[in-house]
Amino acid sequence: QQTKPLINSTLSGKVQDAHTGEAVAGATLTLEGTTHRATSDGNGRFNFVTGQKFPYTLIASYVGYKTVKLVVNSSDIVVQLEPDLNELEDVVVVGYGTQKKSTLTGAVATVDSKFLSNRPITNSTQALQGANGVYVNQNKGRPGAEGNTIRIRGVGTLNNNNPLVLVDGIEYPLSEVNPNDIESISVLKDAASAAIYGNRAANGVILVKTKTGQKGQFQVDYNIYVGSQRSTFKPDVVSNAIQYMEGKNRALTNEGKPAEYGTELLDEYRNGTDPFIYPNTNWFDVMYRNAPIQEHNLRLSGGGEKTTFSLSFGYLNQDGVLIATDAKKYTLNSNVQSDLNSWLKIGANLAGTFWNDRESAYTADEGNGEGGIMGLLYRGLPMQVPYAQDGSYADQWVRVPGHNFFRNPLALSYEGFRRNHRYRTLANVFAEVKLPLNLTYKITAAANIFFGREKYAYPQISLTNPKTGVVTPMGNIPARGVKQIATEGVNLTNFHTLNFTRQFGDHSVNALAGFSMERFDDSDFDAYNQGYLGNELNELDAGSTAPAVGGTSSQSRLQSYFGRINYSFRDKYIFEANVRYDGSSRFANGKRWGLFPSFSGAWRLNRENFLAEASWIDNLKLRASWGQLGNQNIPLYSYVNAISLGNNYSFNNNVVPGTAIIQLADPSISWEKTTMTNIGVDFDILQGKLAFQLDLFDKTTSEILRQVNVPAQVGNLTGPFRNIGKVSNKGIEVSLAYQDAIGDFRYRVGGNLAYLKNEVLDVKGNIYYDGVTIIRKGDPISAFYGLQSAGIFQNEAEIEQHAFQAANTRPGDIRYVDQNQDGIVDNNDRIVIGNSIPKYTYGFTLSGSYKNVDLDLFFQGVADVDTYANGNLAFPYRNGAGVTNEWLTDSWTPENPGARLPILTTSSGYPQNFLTSDFWIKDASYLRLKNIQLAYSLPGAWLERLHIRRFKVFVNAQNYLTFTDFKLGDPERNLTRANMIDYPNYKSITAGVNLTL
Amino acid sequence: CSSFLDVEPTDRYTDDNYWETEERVVASLNGVYASLLHNGLYGGTTPLYFENLSPNAYRYQGDYNLVAQGQHNANTALFYTVWQGAYQGIGRANNLLANIGKVEMDESRRKRYTAEAKFLRAVFYFPLWNLFGGAPLILDATNDATQSNLPRNTAEEIYTQLLRDLNEAIPDLPASYGANEKGRATSGAALAFKARILLYARQWEEAAKTAKEVIDANNYQLFPDYRGLFYLENEGNEEVIFDVQFKFPEFTHGFDINLDQYNNIGPLPNLVNDYYDREGKNIGQSNLYDPAKPYENRDPRLQATVIVKGSLFKGAVVTEGQYPRTGYGQKKYTVFKDDIPAATIPDGQSELNYILLRYADVLLMYAEAQNEAYGPDQSVYNALQQIRSRIGMPGLSTSLSQDELRREIRHERRIELAGEGLYYYDIRRWGIAQEVLNGDIYNDKGQRIDTRRFDPQRDNLWPIPAIAIQENPALAQNPGYGN
Repeated sequence: QQTKPLINSTLSGKVQDAHTGEAVAGATLTLEGTTHRATSDGNGRFNFVTGQKFPYTLIASYVGYKTVKLVVNSSDIVVQLEPDLNELEDVVVVGYGTQKKSTLTGAVATVDSKFLSNRPITNSTQALQGANGVYVNQNKGRPGAEGNTIRIRGVGTLNNNNPLVLVDGIEYPLSEVNPNDIESISVLKDAASAAIYGNRAANGVILVKTKTGQKGQFQVDYNIYVGSQRSTFKPDVVSNAIQYMEGKNRALTNEGKPAEYGTELLDEYRNGTDPFIYPNTNWFDVMYRNAPIQEHNLRLSGGGEKTTFSLSFGYLNQDGVLIATDAKKYTLNSNVQSDLNSWLKIGANLAGTFWNDRESAYTADEGNGEGGIMGLLYRGLPMQVPYAQDGSYADQWVRVPGHNFFRNPLALSYEGFRRNHRYRTLANVFAEVKLPLNLTYKITAAANIFFGREKYAYPQISLTNPKTGVVTPMGNIPARGVKQIATEGVNLTNFHTLNFTRQFGDHSVNALAGFSMERFDDSDFDAYNQGYLGNELNELDAGSTAPAVGGTSSQSRLQSYFGRINYSFRDKYIFEANVRYDGSSRFANGKRWGLFPSFSGAWRLNRENFLAEASWIDNLKLRASWGQLGNQNIPLYSYVNAISLGNNYSFNNNVVPGTAIIQLADPSISWEKTTMTNIGVDFDILQGKLAFQLDLFDKTTSEILRQVNVPAQVGNLTGPFRNIGKVSNKGIEVSLAYQDAIGDFRYRVGGNLAYLKNEVLDVKGNIYYDGVTIIRKGDPISAFYGLQSAGIFQNEAEIEQHAFQAANTRPGDIRYVDQNQDGIVDNNDRIVIGNSIPKYTYGFTLSGSYKNVDLDLFFQGVADVDTYANGNLAFPYRNGAGVTNEWLTDSWTPENPGARLPILTTSSGYPQNFLTSDFWIKDASYLRLKNIQLAYSLPGAWLERLHIRRFKVFVNAQNYLTFTDFKLGDPERNLTRANMIDYPNYKSITAGVNLTL
Repeated sequence: CSSFLDVEPTDRYTDDNYWETEERVVASLNGVYASLLHNGLYGGTTPLYFENLSPNAYRYQGDYNLVAQGQHNANTALFYTVWQGAYQGIGRANNLLANIGKVEMDESRRKRYTAEAKFLRAVFYFPLWNLFGGAPLILDATNDATQSNLPRNTAEEIYTQLLRDLNEAIPDLPASYGANEKGRATSGAALAFKARILLYARQWEEAAKTAKEVIDANNYQLFPDYRGLFYLENEGNEEVIFDVQFKFPEFTHGFDINLDQYNNIGPLPNLVNDYYDREGKNIGQSNLYDPAKPYENRDPRLQATVIVKGSLFKGAVVTEGQYPRTGYGQKKYTVFKDDIPAATIPDGQSELNYILLRYADVLLMYAEAQNEAYGPDQSVYNALQQIRSRIGMPGLSTSLSQDELRREIRHERRIELAGEGLYYYDIRRWGIAQEVLNGDIYNDKGQRIDTRRFDPQRDNLWPIPAIAIQENPALAQNPGYGN
């Protein structure tokens, strides 16, 4: 018989939220002065064999709550935890480690999983929207291929401005991370925090940490939402066929050309009754739809004393707002960590994503001459119908010059396809060894493997003329055939770090040294075949004629040494230095290695004696940093003077190989260098109620790599990449948040604002033109460049008096300013007419909760930015395309001389009114309610009975409200893209449930 | 440790390791030929669209229409495309010529490759001389440091170089090639091209002499079937002196769809009415011409070149409105037969070779140059008669004055070569562009469809493209144009 210990009290009880009374699961309970601990279960209950005698002091703690100490006299107690508003003790992920928010010396913006919860985020890049100093622009919404641009502190370089993204330390595309698996995101904005990533850090670094299990509890989370999406924007297109035709006739008459549609046809159309022959089609109504979306996520997590794990599965099924487009995503993330013994810890993270998306073979991404299916949609005319009387695909019968073939976009959407299968796997293993002398060694090895299989099945389609019944094959589309493309990418990373942490009295020192090697191997292979007997079979082997193949591979490598020293005195004075020595295979031998140092310091004034009395101050910290970063992001082998293959020819129908130099190279190129100074203040008062942060930065990028134009007379060659110039980004970032409670009503308001001034300091006397934008000294990068308009000519006399514009200038035309007063309006009269980089980006959140109900709103906006819109529907009757209503009602006529628009003409037949000018520059500022969410959590008492920890229902609306003056499209667009034919953005309403067992 | 970072590209050669074998020299030469396919030269639909700049045809929109309307300026994209195409070919030819000496090979083949490259360089310099009136003359390997800021050379300097390249090429080029290399430059091609340049430069004696060399070499003759000359199955026939080679699916253009379905070259009544009747009389003086059946009893080349209402084409009767731009379509350079139904050929899937130089052109060059240099003689009539006999047209009266014969030669040239993109060059060098390119144009029903303007002070030359001046401000603009 075993002898019971003499003293052995058992303590049981429950931990709950002091405000809501909700059970708190996972709270840690310890006895003061002992190592005993217990954890509360899903119902907040705990049962603790203490081995101690009453009374004793119990310490209860949990993330997000203030730690309480209470003296316990008897068993079965209720522990009330007060929410802790103060986030200062939160841990922030930084390069190769973590730091406490309170002692950070650099500028780091963070996003936590709470902010992300329940937003219908289909792509993790959307998760960054709202992080201070980060500008995320979602410019198109095709499922599986959303276009998100991330800019951190402006546009620093003239080429690739994308930040470096690392998931658990490994380079990995942010869009491939399941948003539900994200624990936190850190955005390293200044040189001090980013320099440890050396020559890839100049555009900023984004660190993503994925979720891991918690010790001592097993938890099941299931999240689901379902909803509906629709496009954020539909052009105000003329869908009345008579108005369209009469308008076109008017436009041609104004140009001095004969009318296109005779009275006979117009009369026939007016009197026609068959809606298939005499339709008034709005193609946006035909092609856009309300599309369902649903997502499920299941996560199992937990752990024992030594091992924790997290296993999650995700499934997203999203239909596109354009017909016949959809995507499915399957994700898996498993994470295991174990303390094998007192000195060795190992872990592995295995993540996999499988995307399967579909769209028309006449893809929106690649053009196909008219910009793909979206381009065809923007050319849709009211006289065209999708289906003929018998339900077959319809042809057009009214012939439109410039639009001789009707490539029925509906038929092209449903017949054939482009399917994209993308598999991506991240395998990441590490071992951490505690060594003597406070040293920790960590080795990490990871493989990021991508495999893509893309298949195009180009259909052959028959169209029925609704008037004559004649059936003809659709003209001018790619021949029936199949194209398959296999893409493979392997990125292997191996890094070693040695960490030293030691406290010497008031001094604490943390040092890190590391070494890393990375290699990137990419290859692709494509094949094509024709000669199919129908649209049904779409294997390459099912075709018989015109086979074609292609393929290539490339490699690049990086080798780096890095280190950091962090010293702090009483957590009051903090200094940090980082250095990285980086070698890149993207440059020629001798130009490869670069040194990137940074230094930073912080002074926490609230720890000084003179502020000791000011207990209302939680934190007052001054930060300053200086450092240098690099950017190597240019195409591989840009330094090699290459002779390209594939410039072939045929003699008497025998193909012969041909070679040519098509691009110049500059072997002396090296990475660009960004030098950044940052000064910041963190000010938190009233026990975390009010938080204020201010950062001023001055970021100068020199030796900028830019593909320079070479005059065509030099063999019409593509210019080389060169280190050419200097760009400055200066800015201010402010954020302010206030939170408090009035009884049971808790609220938080927070906002951030960033101002950015971008200026090209030096491009060695050159000017770089790129379509409608310009890069030259003294202006912002890629400023819009064109003529300045000065109203509309009202009569011949005004034209006579004005500088010469064109031989047939007439009243109703735009008047351009003759800047150089040489009597002729030409390219020499162009000036900067707009700015394509937002000067202000801002966001704010409003949250409130009352008992079990939460309401959150998130707004995002940009201000002081322009866009230039041209192309179909931005300009009228372009090459047989349609026209928007404003051109028929608000264009200049002698009777309507005050009209907003110039005289109605076809834009392709009468170019002088459609030159690049400020007349067509539009203000692209907007304020958008990105997200609003209302949630209700079931009360704890009910849950206890059901043995459920959490049950929350929510509704969420995304992109539902937008304030803007931009009327031609969604303002959240690629601002330097001139035409309007991107896949539409969507707004969604979703509802869902979070369930935790 | 830097060996980890040593990575070489595996899909291209570099300047250092390329010039080693004859095989690679030939590939580089093929790359020069490939520049003929540039959109600014003979790719896409470009050579044929030049019709739309002439009184022969009408394009209802786009750059060709702007030029015809006199509304073009230095920003009109067409000009820059041509400029780019020309210099792309020149750069490639120069790179070959600069490096061919590094490679060991048989000397006679080295000479031939060099001569081919020089012929091609002349083809590429031609638009810079004729259309732009002078441009930077660059003969060395591409080098942005030394060539980026070069100003324009005069038209005369370019002209001198054109003749020098061709003169150097002619002796080293073979008269013909084996079946696998047919399409490469021959001595006949270089001679015929030289004759064209001399003709355009009004060097009548030299032009006549050079054209005669082609005739006397006896390597070419007229293909018996005028329409069949442009059929796919007759590519490279005995009349072809030099053609730009196309082959589906690798090297294609869009002639068929653009000519037929798009009607992007709308032949004008001005051309249609210029075809004689079967007896060789102007329709104004014709006994055979019936306004009710205007396309009957006409020079057979009319319906071999132009698709007219009521005729048979692609196995069906051409209906009213089928060719809405002017009422007419261009048949020449489509692959379709009159009596065989045919499906649409999508844009970029046509493969008929474009004939840059053919024997009939040489005969016409000879006739014109000989008549200008020496007045009417029997050799002129013989040359013309060969052309007229092929399509069964009667001979000319042999008692014409030099002026009268000039009119007939010009007429014959317009009709024989209609639809091939050459008339724009002819009306400019004849100095008649301002007469024939000013005023209203009409469709087949006599309705006005557009108004054209041609300013002889300005429009004989194209503007130097605005982008070219932007990139190299040392380039001076042509008179009358802004930048």
